[in-house]
Amino acid sequence: MNNNIRVNELCYSTLSSKNPNSFDTYVSLGGYSTWKNIVTTSYDRKEIIETILKSGLRGRGGAGFPTGRKWSFINQDSEDIKYLVCNADESEPGTCKDRDILRYNPHALIEGMLIASYAIGANTAYCYLRGEFMDDVYSSFKKALADAYENKLIGNNILKTNINIELHDLIGAGAYIVGEETAMLESIEGKKGFPRFKPPFPAVKGLFGSPTIINNVETLASVPKIMENGPEWFKSAGTKDSPGFKCFSVSGHVNKPGNYEIPLGTPFKKLLELAGGMKDGKKIKAVIPGGSSVPVVPGKVMLETNMDYESITQAGSLLGSGAVIIMDEDTNMVEVIHRIARFYYSESCGQCTPCREGTGWMFKIIDKILNGKANLEDIKTLESIPSMISGSTICALGDAAAMPVESFIKHYKNEFLRYINHENQNKEKIFSSNNNNEFVLQKK
Amino acid sequence: MQDNSTYKISSEVSSKINKWLLKFPDGKKKPAIIYALHLIQKENKYIKSIHVDALANFLNLKNIDVYEIAAFYSMFELEKIGKHTISVCTNVSCMLNGSDEILSYLESKLKIKVGRSSDKYFLKDERECLAACCGAPMMQVDHKYYENLTKEKIDKIITEIENE
Ligand SMILES: Cc1cc2nc3c(=O)[nH]c(=O)nc-3n(C[C@H](O)[C@H](O)[C@H](O)COP(=O)(O)O)c2cc1C
Ligand code: SF4
Ligand code: FES
Repeated sequence: MNNNIRVNELCYSTLSSKNPNSFDTYVSLGGYSTWKNIVTTSYDRKEIIETILKSGLRGRGGAGFPTGRKWSFINQDSEDIKYLVCNADESEPGTCKDRDILRYNPHALIEGMLIASYAIGANTAYCYLRGEFMDDVYSSFKKALADAYENKLIGNNILKTNINIELHDLIGAGAYIVGEETAMLESIEGKKGFPRFKPPFPAVKGLFGSPTIINNVETLASVPKIMENGPEWFKSAGTKDSPGFKCFSVSGHVNKPGNYEIPLGTPFKKLLELAGGMKDGKKIKAVIPGGSSVPVVPGKVMLETNMDYESITQAGSLLGSGAVIIMDEDTNMVEVIHRIARFYYSESCGQCTPCREGTGWMFKIIDKILNGKANLEDIKTLESIPSMISGSTICALGDAAAMPVESFIKHYKNEFLRYINHENQNKEKIFSSNNNNEFVLQKK
Repeated sequence: MQDNSTYKISSEVSSKINKWLLKFPDGKKKPAIIYALHLIQKENKYIKSIHVDALANFLNLKNIDVYEIAAFYSMFELEKIGKHTISVCTNVSCMLNGSDEILSYLESKLKIKVGRSSDKYFLKDERECLAACCGAPMMQVDHKYYENLTKEKIDKIITEIENE
């Protein structure tokens, strides 16, 4: 079935080994050879950035910004202190790909962080893990970090080359917004996770006021193999505009939910097949293709779409973090958007009025709809809110909250209307499911 | 968070904090707040104002600097809670796979409403996705992951805790 599809060749390449996360496994598969080569040959920094640029690697955290270009914004030759930050806050709903890299291939991330630090001229790198990872995920990463230190691949005078790079683990304490890169910088500095105004961009003024590059776990874990095998190898997978491999977290109504690392441009149909097809032989109704922050796409459109940045944009959504949430024909779309709206309402940091108020209004109206208490006017109001939020906020959480609502109404308006017309045969379900969703504000 | 007693940061915790501070540029103290609060919460189950005062004092910061962090981040508990914290993810992928039934089952089994606590269990009102969506429905018990939950699995987990 999947003989013609390349699976788990990059960030998940250790998965088929017995002890995927051990230092020995990683080294036996050629790991750290690139890093050793770089430090012992005083490799040209510009050449590293050039290679990453040529590979076409794009940020895997959600925004898809070309990684080589981001790195080139740093003035490598300046004497200023510079920082690299790895975003391991993984908290976009539907996304669980980074957790598996941290648990099963932490050395690829460490080597990627070292190469990136070297390329931008940073002597200090931080890996910020979300607080909820504090048990096994954090342990796996910390163990790997300790092993890399012990083997003199990090720290002072790396492999006796006079190169010094410290790599520190950090832990958060629960806040979706800290995944936003400037909020993460605030959090590392020991403050509330309030996103900063941009500009200045972090590459100019970032952590502790110094130039900083922030990249996602998967982005950084992709770097060693691209350096080792060359940009052409990376580009042998994927499409012209979306080269390489990408991890997709497939969840929802499928038989084999899981993380699948496949070439970009793979037909969605194939990915669905990899994930064991639809549960209970049901029909597909809808897909959220890139985490809860992106617009929903009707199932029949998705079945004709390929999994790359351009195709998914054409289908009316975004590839985002690569979290593919699949819903079957029985899914109540109002319940789904209710849950999503509740999330953004709880997580808005409250700095910008349109986001703070808008996420609240959207949730309250959807809640009213779900309770069978809304009228047509309410739906009209709901429809008007997203455009008031989009584009007028400090960070992208505002858009992330607005886009899904807009798309759910666009594609499934009849389901909203059914609640208004009190024609829903499933009323009991509506009310009972709502018991758990009491309108309680969490501490902010 | 009211308490008239005072609190002294243990030598174990203070040496851990001092070690953590080495990760940051000289003289920066704030970056240790989150980590230190985790340590204090681990020892005391939840954060009281005496803890905030003691930590601010230890790090030479204003109380508000520490309080702000304790209040902003959802993992810090500011009220008395039970021995074990249970967080059932009810975000979208988990909801599609029956997380609401799992949560209701726990509510009736433990006889506590979500967001409330008994002496033994705190059933956290978790709004975030916990990054285990492919193992939905899932929960964390004291931050340990339990995935692909069923009622039977929950019975087993709770029995294990009861027999500890
Ligand atoms: C509200 C919000 C939450 C985010 N959460 C995450 C996250 O959990 N992990 C992540 O890597 N990026 C997240 N991002 C994206 C980051 O801001 C940033 O673009 C990314 O870490 C850059 O890395 P990349 O270029 O390698 O993708 C989030 C952005 C926003 C606006
Ligand atoms: S858009 Fe929302 S989350 Fe982002 S800074 Fe503004 S209020 Fe905070
Ligand atoms: S939606 Fe439950 S873990 Fe992600």
